[in-house]
Amino acid sequence: MTMAPERSVPINTIEITEKAADKVKQFAVEKSMEIYGLKVAVKGGGCSGLTYVLDIVEGPEPDDKVILNHGVEVYVPKKAFVFLAGTVLDFSDGLNGKGFEFSNPNAARTCGCGTSFSV
Amino acid sequence: MQLNALETRCGLLDWEKSTIVRHSGPDALDLLDRLTTKSLDSLGLYNAQRTVLTTAAGRVIDTFLVARVADIDLLLISDSRVPDKIISAINYYTIVEDAAMTDHSMSLTRLSLIGPKSRQVLQKIWDLDLEKGLLATVKYGENEVTIISDDSRKVDWVDLIVDPLSSKKLRSELLKKGAVAISADHFEHFRINFSIPGADAEYGEHSNPIEAGLLSLIDFDKGCYVGQEVIARLDTYNKVQRDLRVLTSAEPLNERSKLISGSSTAGIVTSVSHLETPEGNFVSLALVRKAYLASGTELNADGIAVAVK
Repeated sequence: MTMAPERSVPINTIEITEKAADKVKQFAVEKSMEIYGLKVAVKGGGCSGLTYVLDIVEGPEPDDKVILNHGVEVYVPKKAFVFLAGTVLDFSDGLNGKGFEFSNPNAARTCGCGTSFSV
Repeated sequence: MQLNALETRCGLLDWEKSTIVRHSGPDALDLLDRLTTKSLDSLGLYNAQRTVLTTAAGRVIDTFLVARVADIDLLLISDSRVPDKIISAINYYTIVEDAAMTDHSMSLTRLSLIGPKSRQVLQKIWDLDLEKGLLATVKYGENEVTIISDDSRKVDWVDLIVDPLSSKKLRSELLKKGAVAISADHFEHFRINFSIPGADAEYGEHSNPIEAGLLSLIDFDKGCYVGQEVIARLDTYNKVQRDLRVLTSAEPLNERSKLISGSSTAGIVTSVSHLETPEGNFVSLALVRKAYLASGTELNADGIAVAVK
């Protein structure tokens, strides 16, 4: 078994891979949205305490940090950024694919389904 | 007389200290639903539900009553003397949610009516037929009293939340209408006898909610909440190692004493009563390991012989 090398992302940002960006663009087309961005946030809850939130939205909120990746604007609420700094968001499809996947260096523990984590 | 009132009539417990927190905001209820063991998303206005907040490792932080007193306004009431337990835990998980907490543990007073005649005593003051699991806010003089019927205990239980000035007058009126004042010692004896788990005794970060007697407060089909994965695994694979049991002994035990069987540890004493039973015994509560749960099992605590009730 081979392991993909860990992606290294500066701690002051988060990154979405090209594959994840393409999927976001596809969803936006399906929703007939011409102006859009990807909201990435964290809310309380889930087995491990903190749950990832993903949503395609029309624009940022006033306190969102805006990051441009592969032609997609990513909006991260400042309060959630502390839990997400350095994260890579990828997308895997196919039979064994898990959909959107977070690789979060702040996560000390994740639940079985990968949607929640603790720091 | 006090124990008899709790079991057959109506006892009045004046909490010297407990947790009363207001949790307000459009996201408050949804947040608690995501954090705790009970399904709260459908909790209606003027309804109340006890739930358990656990760590991600499935250990109990606290159990509290969630009383929906207004559309986006909740009262959280816990037996814990340390309000910061639930405040700091919920605050930690409040990130993008529109919800805030204020501690009223010192500015409001909690009285509890316990026993089968509790509602009848209430009805002598207010024209109120409060069903279990419901709450009402009523006028008392110039002030308001929030009355909550808690259906999660093993006994009839009504909490009254009132300002400290009105509480003295209300307490006196409740006693005149038939309630019997209960001392902390008598309440503790009653709680142990009825195997009602207590804060920082049976439940706390040393126990999971299943072994601590809080199983009825877990909805196994509600989906994710903090600690759910661990708690579901404990239940599914029958991994819970201890259960709550009442012990009897000829002398009072000491809290935190180890229960011993031969050379093996059989559990730990979590609450003790120093009041003698009519049979001349003393009762305690303990977290007892699986192999020693059967009624009549003889154990030892600090050299004192004890029997599992």
